[in-house]
Amino acid sequence: MSEATPLVEVRDLQKHFPVRRGLFGAGSGQVHAVDGISFTIAAGETLGLVGESGCGKSTAGRTLLRLVQPSQGEIRFRGDDITSLDGPAMLPYRRSMQMIQQDPYASLNPRMTAGEIVEEPLVIHRIGGRTERRERVAQLFERVGLRPEQRLAYPHEFSGGQRQRIGIARALALSPALIVCDEPVSALDVSIQAQIINLLTDLQEELGLSYLFVAHDLAVVEHISHRVAVMYLGRIVELTDRRSLFETPLHPYTEALLSAVPIAKVSARGRKRVVLSGDVPSPVNRPSGCHFHTRCPYVHARCRSEAPALHAVREGHLVACHLHEAGPTLPLARPN
Amino acid sequence: MNRIVPRDVASDGGTTPATSDIVLEIEGLQTEFRSPSGIIRAVDGVSYNVRRGETLCVVGESGCGKSVTALSVLRLITSPPGRIAGGQIRFEGSDLLAMSEAEMERIRGNEISMIFQEPMTSLNPLYTIGRQVSEAIALHQGLSRREAMDRAVAMLQRVAIPDAASRAGSYPHQLSGGMRQRVMIAMALSCHPKVLIADEPTTALDVTIQAQILDLIREQRETLGTAVVLITHDMGVVAETADRVVVMYAGRKVEEANVADLFERPAHPYTRGLLGSIPDIEGAARHPGRRPRLTEIKGMVPSLAKLPSGCSFAPRCGLATAACQEVAPPLVQHRPGHWAACWRAEQVLAGIAA
Ligand SMILES: Nc1ncnc2c1ncn2[C@@H]1O[C@H](COP(=O)(O)OP(=O)(O)O)[C@@H](O)[C@H]1O
Ligand SMILES: Nc1ncnc2c1ncn2[C@@H]1O[C@H](COP(=O)(O)OP(=O)(O)O)[C@@H](O)[C@H]1O
Ligand code: SF4
Ligand code: SF4
Ligand SMILES: [Mg+2]
Ligand SMILES: [Mg+2]
Repeated sequence: MSEATPLVEVRDLQKHFPVRRGLFGAGSGQVHAVDGISFTIAAGETLGLVGESGCGKSTAGRTLLRLVQPSQGEIRFRGDDITSLDGPAMLPYRRSMQMIQQDPYASLNPRMTAGEIVEEPLVIHRIGGRTERRERVAQLFERVGLRPEQRLAYPHEFSGGQRQRIGIARALALSPALIVCDEPVSALDVSIQAQIINLLTDLQEELGLSYLFVAHDLAVVEHISHRVAVMYLGRIVELTDRRSLFETPLHPYTEALLSAVPIAKVSARGRKRVVLSGDVPSPVNRPSGCHFHTRCPYVHARCRSEAPALHAVREGHLVACHLHEAGPTLPLARPN
Repeated sequence: MNRIVPRDVASDGGTTPATSDIVLEIEGLQTEFRSPSGIIRAVDGVSYNVRRGETLCVVGESGCGKSVTALSVLRLITSPPGRIAGGQIRFEGSDLLAMSEAEMERIRGNEISMIFQEPMTSLNPLYTIGRQVSEAIALHQGLSRREAMDRAVAMLQRVAIPDAASRAGSYPHQLSGGMRQRVMIAMALSCHPKVLIADEPTTALDVTIQAQILDLIREQRETLGTAVVLITHDMGVVAETADRVVVMYAGRKVEEANVADLFERPAHPYTRGLLGSIPDIEGAARHPGRRPRLTEIKGMVPSLAKLPSGCSFAPRCGLATAACQEVAPPLVQHRPGHWAACWRAEQVLAGIAA
């Protein structure tokens, strides 16, 4: 792998699900869960993926890992095209790409002990003998902050935060290069959230891991990511380094999201905010043109008919909005 | 057991003049549940009050007793296994715990309304939302069916349900989560309650919808002087909406202060820890490179069935001394209107204790 080859490279990734007849009104249709997204993740980098529920974050993560088959597009891992590899050919890549789920309650097999859960990937991939595997499990337990004797306990005997530690130990078992973290702290209390975020950051520094960090909590994403992609209705609308995103958001949706996040400081009270009206439209009947035009404060005629392409408005700052066609234009305002 | 029951009778400490404005007052509330592992004191001597036009936020980690306190106010604790074992709850001076069920029925939804985190649990899936809102109105205000429906539609409009007149004919499952929560709020507000208790009303919602809902609640408070008790675990929501804040830990109130004091000068190590564990969204500017570590509160919330003796927070507290493990700290007023239950609160306030 050369310097320039990113660990992960995704191009025009799409995932459409068929919709059951009648669920969203008459006839059948397609949910455009992920609708042509492109991004890269470098070794040791965290790419944050934010957006409101239903915008396609989990589907993007699961498609990247080939847990669901993409409808279109290309996924490269260390430069290799893995988009349509079959079972055995995919196996070595699976070892390098792991996932941590949001709900530690639902994602752990209730009939296995914590030790067995963490050991299982080693068994599946036939790595090491019994003793070596046990040693590895002991090591992993220690690393994620679980006590050795907790190996023998079952998931229901653990708190939410501890279950997430089990999930992390399991994901680490095969020494992956990439972990897709799907809302890993969303279900946890803040004091426990901080423990898990610190653990993930430490592990990244020690092991050079890459993360795709999916979350709807912008403060958490901002804290942990190097770069952030903002999704709306299956598309990436803005992608840049975390500092630019939080200091100079260029997409009207990013601006609205940021201004809606409550800030835990009294000094932030009463700041001017952009409150969006209405709900996110259905991904089955998406608005024409720019998907955001039904809620955008700066909508103009062109937005309703023409979808803006994601393009670099300056080095490393990608935006999909007509307002920035001729370079970044701030403050945001409706053209006259 | 060597325990001092906190006594914080007048929790405003007499420093705020408008005591007559107090609409709802909880005093020394004890609510417990029978369980296989013994009696669980879910709420152990909690007191707080809320005034007309004020927003009181109640914060704390899951399981600390926020919801049970709120449900106790409306006497919605199912018995068995639950029981209100002590204390008083006064609404405009009269003790709710002494009222007949019929009197209580008149209070619920009319004088004191509650909205819950998951609106589906409180909406009937079999009736249209228009019917549910209008029945709530008719029941409490003795209007005709027609008048009630007109008011229901107006109410749905007020909570920004698009196309309210035709939406009134929708069933709950046909609406998005944010829309259902707005219907719940329409129902809760339709009778102009004097107190609105909102239990994590936006926890399940996206931030842009959360902003809409919080705006609605704020508007109601400002225009009609509704007293709001907002239960949340989100310190951002607290900072932006609260006038005063109550922090709960393991069934007790451990701190109470006005919002500025709580955020800028927390007196309890738990509150200080909570504030330190939140990622700072404005941090990108200040720390463009490597992020500072978040402050952790080590360990986890103790089980209410086997609370440690002394201060419940002691096993997780970096400032704990031997004394803390022996005797539970009483709730003490350290500054005007600023209460904390910690032996070392003065040092925390003075910035001496690190
Ligand atoms: N297996 C599936 N079948 C049909 N629709 C799906 C499936 N998985 C996800 N979807 C739909 O795709 C859209 C994106 O979902 P998801 O990726 O879970 O969003 P997010 O993680 O951002 O909340 C949603 O509208 C969701 O209902
Ligand atoms: N129906 C019940 N039966 C037994 N215990 C209960 C019941 N409801 C609540 N509890 C206990 O009361 C405690 C406080 O719960 P709750 O008020 O719901 O916490 P929260 O602060 O998350 O709202 C919990 O730890 C729980 O164990
Ligand atoms: S393209 Fe138009 S509608 Fe879309 S975000 Fe930009 S201004 Fe708003
Ligand atoms: S009383 Fe002691 S253990 Fe409890 S919070 Fe204060 S310093 Fe910590
Ligand atoms: Mg998801
Ligand atoms: Mg609760």
